[in-house]
Amino acid sequence: MKRAFLGEFEEVVLLTVAILDEEAYGVTVTQEIEQKTGRAVGFSTVHTTLQRLEEKGYLASRMGGATAERGGRRKRYFTVTAAGRKALAEVKQVREELWNALPPQTLQLMGG
Amino acid sequence: MSNTPPRFATWLLEHFGHPDSREEVQGDLLELYDYWVKTVGVRKANWRYSLNALKLLRPWAQSKTAKKYPQPILVSPAMIRNYVKIAWRNLSHAKVFSLINGFGLTLGMTCALLVFLVIVHETSYDKHHKNGDRIYRVETANNSDPNTHPGTYTEMAVVLPKEAPEFASIVPIYYQWGKGLAVPASGEFFKERVAFTNSSLFQLLDYQWVTGDARTALSQPDQVVLTESYAKKMFGSTDVIGKTIRYDTKEDLRVTGVLKDYPKTTNFPFDVLVSFPTLKRVQPDFDSHGWNGFGDNFQIYTLLKPGFRPEQLTSRFHAIQVKYQKDPKTIEHQHFVLNPLSQLHYSFNFSGRQANSKLLNILALIGAFVLLIACINFINLTTAQALKRAKEIGIRKAVGSNRLSLIYQFLTEAGLITFLSTLLCMLLAWLVLPSIATMMGLPLTASDLFTWKIGVFLAGLAGLTTLLAGTYPAFRLSGMPPIWALKSNKLPQGERSATLRQGLVVVQFTVSMILISSALLINRQLSFFQNADLGFNKAALITVGLPDNKPEKLQTLRAQLMESPQIKEVSFSFNSASAESNWMQGMQYRKGATPIEIKTQMKMGDSHYLDTYGIQLLAGEKLRDTDTSKASFKIIANEIFIDRMGIREPADAIGQKVYFGDGQEFATIVGVAKNFHVNSLHQKIDPTVIQVVPNNFYQAGIKLQSETPTTESIQAALGTIEKAWKTTFPNQVFEYDFLDKTLAQAYQNETRTSQLIETSTLIAILIACLGLFGLATFSAEQRTKEIGIRKVLGASVTSIIALMTKDFLKLVAIAMLIASPIAWYAMSQWLQNFEFKIGISWWVFALTGLLMAVIAMLTVSFQSIKAALMNPVKSLRSE
Repeated sequence: MKRAFLGEFEEVVLLTVAILDEEAYGVTVTQEIEQKTGRAVGFSTVHTTLQRLEEKGYLASRMGGATAERGGRRKRYFTVTAAGRKALAEVKQVREELWNALPPQTLQLMGG
Repeated sequence: MSNTPPRFATWLLEHFGHPDSREEVQGDLLELYDYWVKTVGVRKANWRYSLNALKLLRPWAQSKTAKKYPQPILVSPAMIRNYVKIAWRNLSHAKVFSLINGFGLTLGMTCALLVFLVIVHETSYDKHHKNGDRIYRVETANNSDPNTHPGTYTEMAVVLPKEAPEFASIVPIYYQWGKGLAVPASGEFFKERVAFTNSSLFQLLDYQWVTGDARTALSQPDQVVLTESYAKKMFGSTDVIGKTIRYDTKEDLRVTGVLKDYPKTTNFPFDVLVSFPTLKRVQPDFDSHGWNGFGDNFQIYTLLKPGFRPEQLTSRFHAIQVKYQKDPKTIEHQHFVLNPLSQLHYSFNFSGRQANSKLLNILALIGAFVLLIACINFINLTTAQALKRAKEIGIRKAVGSNRLSLIYQFLTEAGLITFLSTLLCMLLAWLVLPSIATMMGLPLTASDLFTWKIGVFLAGLAGLTTLLAGTYPAFRLSGMPPIWALKSNKLPQGERSATLRQGLVVVQFTVSMILISSALLINRQLSFFQNADLGFNKAALITVGLPDNKPEKLQTLRAQLMESPQIKEVSFSFNSASAESNWMQGMQYRKGATPIEIKTQMKMGDSHYLDTYGIQLLAGEKLRDTDTSKASFKIIANEIFIDRMGIREPADAIGQKVYFGDGQEFATIVGVAKNFHVNSLHQKIDPTVIQVVPNNFYQAGIKLQSETPTTESIQAALGTIEKAWKTTFPNQVFEYDFLDKTLAQAYQNETRTSQLIETSTLIAILIACLGLFGLATFSAEQRTKEIGIRKVLGASVTSIIALMTKDFLKLVAIAMLIASPIAWYAMSQWLQNFEFKIGISWWVFALTGLLMAVIAMLTVSFQSIKAALMNPVKSLRSE
């Protein structure tokens, strides 16, 4: 089976969306990534990544939740699709396989 | 909330963000902005907001797959492909309309392109010189005359360096229009233009050297510098330093340098440059310290030091005049002017061609007019055709096409036709350029057509034409309510649009009519020039130059020529009875209380002058060849001259004395000649006297026996003349002219204007007819049913043709009413240029109107007859 390809940032965004569950839209995802990883990410980057993930079918979106602070504009909420969950799982599995293949002494060196 | 994000970024996002995600992105950014203001401060928040907004503009951020109900982007590649495809289908569907449209536009654009080419050429003279903006020509101006003289006093070249420190360099140029040059080594001889100048010329203008040193090449006597192509022409190579050229069979010159050829666009087309000190050797009577008179062939060019303005030298020039000019009257009447290099091409210059800024303006106007007519055609035809497309537009609108996309659609159609026309116009321009260049006397070649300037111009022209021709139909057609189109298959045929269309046709015909009547009038003036009674006979007269006017040489030449049975008479003279360059001199008649000053044109000719040129003698006797003694000058005056003297009867003038020169010398009038045109018909006849001065005989006028010689007899006569001339003047280049042709050259400008107007008239008529034809086609189609019913009810074919034609003739009549006064005004302005001119008669305009009416009838009749002859069953059956 062909494995899904996920870029590093795509993976982070996809995971964040999964973490935020029902509350995932552009702003929250950006802020969450900033807080969790400590790195400054541009909103535009997050936005395009979200769009890309949606095109790939890993995310689904719906509009809703207009508030006054955004000038009455609706938000686009994202949720992880089944394909998205599968892709995340695959990535995790690959990582774990790779970690497991690491010889113990190297692991010690890195930890030390 | 006190803080708002940068407005410009918001605006950008609003207009250029991707429509699919516009809403949430705007919302998200607003929310984040508040967050940023709280966490990192206003400045950073502003910065981040703008940066993110920028990054989210198309095409950086856009989703590749469309949403379920995407908002259309009207200029996306897919839509553009669609526009072009539909445009192409429409064009090929209505072939006749597209052809008429395309052809008209091509003609209009070709006109505009050629006009642009000519204007670019004429304005590009001497633009390549580094110091160009500081170069000026010293010109002499009479206070009474708005036109300055390009030449000046020879002494000025000596005086200026001493008296005017504002000049960085001062370059005298003495130009000889045709001098014999021989290469002793090969024995070949040439007749070339020669410029006498000095080394400072090379500081003034930018030259590139093949060999030679700019500082010394023209500093000593007997030095000559050639251009590359002339070195090849005379010696066959460019390695010519130190070789010898013999000037005028007298003086040997040494080649000291070879220059790269100059560009076409220069007012200094010097191929043979001779050092200035040489001039005194080859022409001992050249007055290098003259303050008495000046000629056009001696000019002084100057390089002003940086920071000085030409106006600052006015007082300097006046001081020079006061110091050196001996004649107080001249000081009073004359002043000097500095004419910048950029203006030289519009006045007399050494290139022998001068641009006429008026003609250039007329040209630009004509080009714009013809293009406008073509665009009007396009608008007319497109709106007319819209009826056929009413259903298409209606359905497009009904299924949700918005107005913008329809506008794009129509603009694309206009653009496509324009694009094809542009390609065709390049081809057409390339084809006709050689004949245009000959007609205008311009050194233009096909390579001038393929420059970046022309490319930019064409692109601009295509864009402009698209907008000009496409905007009106686009907005008009796209604004139609669809219900009209779908319900009755009919446009809201308001009176306004019909009137507008007719108005456009009237404009076209007005322009065409102005051009036609102008062409007619200009032609009449030209034929007036050709057939006017000049007071002398210009037919069958050949003129040849005299390189040498020693009396014994002239005697032998005359004897040899007179032997020939074809030759009736020969006269040696300064110039012909009418000539471009003249000798003017002040004369004084002292009979009355106050002496009368008469500015007189001097005609110097021998005893045969009157007979050769067929000038009539009213009183007195002819001159004799012996009338040369200083003590008793004898002259023949013309009627104007004695009229100025205050004498009515020619016989009374005989024996009167007139004074000239220093006021002691005088001449006696021995004869009075009937007036003859000493100048071209642009000017009045000057007071003129004829006098025998063998020193100033520079040409021979040879009158043939037959008034209307055949080609063979001319050839035979020319053979005789050449043989006699060559034996008298060996080693010289023989050249001859026919007097009537030389005189016709004075009207070259007018001939050119007439040819131009004729050509543009043709094009304008052609385009207007195309438009009319298109409209007639349209109107015939629109009225098919009406005509069918009329026929069924018993209308005759003639009455239907009349019905169809009447409308268009009405337009022609209106156009005539508008065009006639405009043409009359323009032409009376033009005729102001001439002292002798035709009157403008009303029938010219009547003829124009008639002509236009006939043309319009012919154009329309094809469609009218077709419509009238159609079987009504056919037109009524199809519903």
